[in-house]
Amino acid sequence: MTLYRRAAWAAGLVLSTCLAFLLADYAVAATRAPRDASQIKSLQEQLKSDASLAPRLAAEQKRITEARLARKLRDRWLAWTLILAACAFLASAKRAVRPWQPLAPKPIPALPSRDRQGAVPRPINEPPPLDLSYVDTAIAQHGRGRESAIPLLQAIQTHYRYLPDEALRRICELTDVTPAQIASTSSFYAQFRRSPVGKHIVRVCHGTACHVSGARQITEELRRYLAIPDGADTDPSRTFTLDEVACLGCCSLAPVLMVDGHTAGRLTPASARNALEETA
Amino acid sequence: MSTVRAAILLLFAASIAPVARAQAIPYQRPVDTAPQQNTIGGGYKTPPVQKPLPRDAWLQLLDVALLGLATGASVWLVLNRRSRKGLAWLSLGSLAYFGFYRQGCICPIGSIQNVAVALVDPHYSIPMVATAVFFIPLVVALFFGRAFCGGVCPIGAIQDLVVLKPIQTPRRLDRVLGLLKYVYLGLALFFAVRPALGRDFVICRFDPFVGFFRLSGAPHMLMLGAAFLIVGMFVGRPYCRYLCPYAVLLNWCTRLARRGVTITPDKELDCGLCTGSCPFGAIDKMRAVRKDCLYCARCYTSCPVPEVGRTPRSARVPLDPQLGARP
Repeated sequence: MTLYRRAAWAAGLVLSTCLAFLLADYAVAATRAPRDASQIKSLQEQLKSDASLAPRLAAEQKRITEARLARKLRDRWLAWTLILAACAFLASAKRAVRPWQPLAPKPIPALPSRDRQGAVPRPINEPPPLDLSYVDTAIAQHGRGRESAIPLLQAIQTHYRYLPDEALRRICELTDVTPAQIASTSSFYAQFRRSPVGKHIVRVCHGTACHVSGARQITEELRRYLAIPDGADTDPSRTFTLDEVACLGCCSLAPVLMVDGHTAGRLTPASARNALEETA
Repeated sequence: MSTVRAAILLLFAASIAPVARAQAIPYQRPVDTAPQQNTIGGGYKTPPVQKPLPRDAWLQLLDVALLGLATGASVWLVLNRRSRKGLAWLSLGSLAYFGFYRQGCICPIGSIQNVAVALVDPHYSIPMVATAVFFIPLVVALFFGRAFCGGVCPIGAIQDLVVLKPIQTPRRLDRVLGLLKYVYLGLALFFAVRPALGRDFVICRFDPFVGFFRLSGAPHMLMLGAAFLIVGMFVGRPYCRYLCPYAVLLNWCTRLARRGVTITPDKELDCGLCTGSCPFGAIDKMRAVRKDCLYCARCYTSCPVPEVGRTPRSARVPLDPQLGARP
C-alpha cells in the first residue's frame, strides 16, 4: 500500500515536472517567435542596403532553426517521459486508492455467514436441563385418557413454550396417549412447535400487502443479521425466533413485523434490525 | 417496440442505398492553391504529399469489420460473459487500434457530421466507411444498448483508463450537465450543414483527445484534453456523459433495446454494492439505467453473488428458492 502510494507520488512528481517544463518551453518559444521573426525581417531589410550583413543573417537563421529543432527534440523526449509517468502514476495510484483486489470478489458461500453489521455478539446459549416435574402436574390435572392428548400438549406448550421431546416421551410412559397420536396432533396444529423457541418471537408478516412491499427482503435481512442457519428459525443465542405469518391485520403499515406484542411498521431492512435491537 | 425498431432499421437501410451509389464517384482532390507542375515547368515534379491518396479499400473494409467485430465482442463479453477483465482488454485493444494506430479517425462521433452533410449537400459524396461507422453502433444500440461506448470507443477507453476515485455526482447535476450534449450536437449539425465554404466540423476540431492519439496538436487542445483526463480521475468519463454528441443518438436507440446490462431484482441481494461501483451514475435505485450505461461491467464485477456476477447465463440458477427453477 505505502509502496504504491510512494510510487504514485514519485510518478506524479515526474509527471508534473514534465508538464511544467513543456508549458515553460511552450511559453518561452511563443514569446520568442515574434521577436525572432521581426529580427530576421529587419535584417533582411538592412541587407538590401548593406550586403555585408548576409553572413549575419545566415548565422541568425541557423541559430533560430537549431533552437527550434532542439526544442522539438526536447519536447518529444519530455512528452514520452510524461506519457510513461502518467501510465506509472495511474497504475500505482489505482492500487494505492483501492488496495489490489482480484477482479472477481470471493463469492459468499451462504447467506447467514455475511457480516452482521453492528450486531451485538450474543453468546450461544445451551438450553438449561429440563425440569420435567410439570409434566406430572399436568397429567394429574387433565387425566390419562386418549381424549386428554390435546389439553396435555397445550399445557406443555404453554409451560415450556415448545414441546420438548423428553416431556412427550414422559406423557407416553404415563398415559394412554400414543406416540403416533402425539406426532400427528403436534404436527397438524400450528399452535404446537417441537423445537426450542427463542426469548422473543418475531412475526414477520407475509400477507399480500407486506409481500409486495418487500417482506421477503426483510426476512432475509433478519435471517442474515441474526445468523439464523438455513432450515432453522431461531438464532444460535436463542434470543429471537423468526416466524413468517400470513397477516397481522395492519396492511396500511406494510411491511410489518411483531416482536412479542410490539408492532413495527413501514419497515426497511435497517429499521427491521432496529426494531429487534430495541427489544433485545 | 419492435415495430419502431424495425421502422428505424428500414430507415437506416434506405439511407445506405444512395450512399452506395455515391461510391462510384472517382476520388480526386484538385490542388489549385499551390503552383503545379505545368505552371512551374522545367521538369518539376510535385511531391506526392500534395495529393495524399485515400487508404486502400481493403484497409477501409478492415476498419469497418474490426469496428463491427469489436462492438459484437463488447456485447458478448458484457452480457454473456459478464467479464470486466475481458472488456478492459478489448477497450485497450480498441484504444491501440482506433486511437493510436488509426489516430482517432474516422470515428462514429465525427461521422455524424459527414452524414449530416451528405443529407443536405447533393455534391458531397460520403465515403461508405463513414456511413458504416456511423450506423453500426446505432444498430447494435437498437438491440443491446451502448456496447460501442464500453469496448470500442477510443475516446471512452482513454477516459476509462484514468478513472481513479470516481465520486457519485448528484443526479440533478448529472441531468443538467447531460443537456450539454444536445447543445453540442445542435451546434455541430449547424456548422456541418452550412454551405461548403463556411462548413466546419467542430466535433473533430474540438475533440479533446485526438491530440494524444496523434502525439501532437494545438497546445490549447492538448491542455483541454489533459484537463478532461484530470477531471476524469474523479468524475467518470466526463466527455462521454456530458458532451459526446453521438451519445444523444445512442440514447435514443438504446431506449428500444430489448437486452442490455441488467441488475436483476430476483437474483441478487439488493445490497447496493453495484451502485457504488458504477462510476457513471448509471445505476438508479439499484437498477441499471440503460441509456446511461456505458457497458463497463464494473457492476457485475462488484457483485458478491456468483450467480449474478460471473456465471454464464445458461448455467445460472435462481437464488431465491421460492421463485423456483425457470425454463
